Amino acid sequence: MSDVTSAAHAPLLRSPLHERHAALGAKFAPFGGWEMPIEYAGGGVLKEHTAVREAVGVFDVSHLGKARITGAGAAAYVNACLTNDLDRIKPGKAQYTLCCDDSTGGVIDDIIAYLHSDEHVFLIPNAANTTEVVRRLAAAAPEGLTITNEHADHAVLAVQGPRSAELLAALGLPTDHEYMSFEPGTLNGVELTVCRTGYTGEHGYELVCPADRAVEVWDALFGTPVEARACGLAARDTLRTEMGYPLHGQDLSPEISPVEARAGWAVGWKKPAFWGKEVLSEEKANGPVRVLWGLVATDRGIPRPHMSVYVGEDIVGEVTSGTFSPTRKVGIALALIDTAAELTEQDQVEIDVRGRRSTFVVTKPPFVTPSVR
Amino acid sequence: MIPENLRYTAEHEWVATSGTPVRVGITDFAQDALGDIVYVQLPEPGTEVAAGDSFGEVESTKSVSEIYAPVSGTVLARNEALVDSPDLINTDPYGEGWLVEMQPADPAAIDALLDADGYGKLTES
Repeated sequence: MSDVTSAAHAPLLRSPLHERHAALGAKFAPFGGWEMPIEYAGGGVLKEHTAVREAVGVFDVSHLGKARITGAGAAAYVNACLTNDLDRIKPGKAQYTLCCDDSTGGVIDDIIAYLHSDEHVFLIPNAANTTEVVRRLAAAAPEGLTITNEHADHAVLAVQGPRSAELLAALGLPTDHEYMSFEPGTLNGVELTVCRTGYTGEHGYELVCPADRAVEVWDALFGTPVEARACGLAARDTLRTEMGYPLHGQDLSPEISPVEARAGWAVGWKKPAFWGKEVLSEEKANGPVRVLWGLVATDRGIPRPHMSVYVGEDIVGEVTSGTFSPTRKVGIALALIDTAAELTEQDQVEIDVRGRRSTFVVTKPPFVTPSVR
Repeated sequence: MIPENLRYTAEHEWVATSGTPVRVGITDFAQDALGDIVYVQLPEPGTEVAAGDSFGEVESTKSVSEIYAPVSGTVLARNEALVDSPDLINTDPYGEGWLVEMQPADPAAIDALLDADGYGKLTES
């Protein structure tokens, strides 16, 4: 485990926007090996969360990984490795997909794949998993393909909320393209990619730009008549939890399969091959031993990851993500529950919240209606 | 700004030095570290506590912190306004965001706590 130890002691990487965050009084925390803003002075999770639900928020998510696969057959190769079916989308579109372990079916990472052409696919994996995803793709790649880890080369700014289109339009950027597609744009001479993607459940965009021009883009986003709020990763987490979007390392992991996590929609089951196809197809046919459910508190309890879920005195599962929902003003959780417990929607379970039992209703996420389109 | 007229614990509670019963709360430093507070669990009036006992919880969107009795005594009242507006702790930690009122077993125990200078040194980064 020496490599794990050294990783823990490695200095944290910083976003090219670090000075901007510090000037805004951000609180920082380590996230996937990066020191990123969690919330801002004068903001806080609730204000930042509400800004995204009701107006527009800007997140620096430059910690997200970036990798590029180029060469003849690049898209076909990615399609033979990652779970979702790239043939379902056209160039200019993006797709949520998974990198699974071929032997266990566990999720190494969840990824957005941007299909530029048959010869060019861009990936945005999670920060902490980028090296491993790139390693696996490079190790299995046929001759003639180039797999490049471009993690620190690009910054990513997420512009999310009902006024996001208005904000980008004020800067002359394209806004009318459909959900999960991307278009090139230019902002004060900076060339960037405007992706109709996000992790908040709101109409939004993610701007991918050169890391050394990120400050100019950030400043431009806060220089229009459309008032945007800087938002940290804490609000990003409450926003995504309200949508039931999984977070890798909590709701997805090498120990959790896509079948268990209800991410089967992101698997091209009929494809001839993808990593984990054999084991996952078998699990799908037999039914998983546990499955992800949403839980909503009926009292004041706020669930947290790893808390036990009870039916009577039997532990039937564990919370994978849990928080206070700022929109619904109640505790919400994603929890992996034994299928043997035979729970269905509207059933009640209990969670042990530090020694006290709180009652929750079983539900299917999302907890808040998405407005991504 | 750390009010001069209060006493403090190393666990970031404050205690009023005047009035009977005495008010107890958490400091501005503590509320800032916690972030937006969404839920507060406080002891029932009549609860007897010993100094250092955990007697409640303050929960924010991202974490939960125990509250410790700054001195021994009896809880006489709790701030019922916090049930609907736990954010009062964030906006006015030394005023409207107070947590409980206590009858200290020994009022002199309050004087033995940290003063504003001592608490300030503790929280200097």
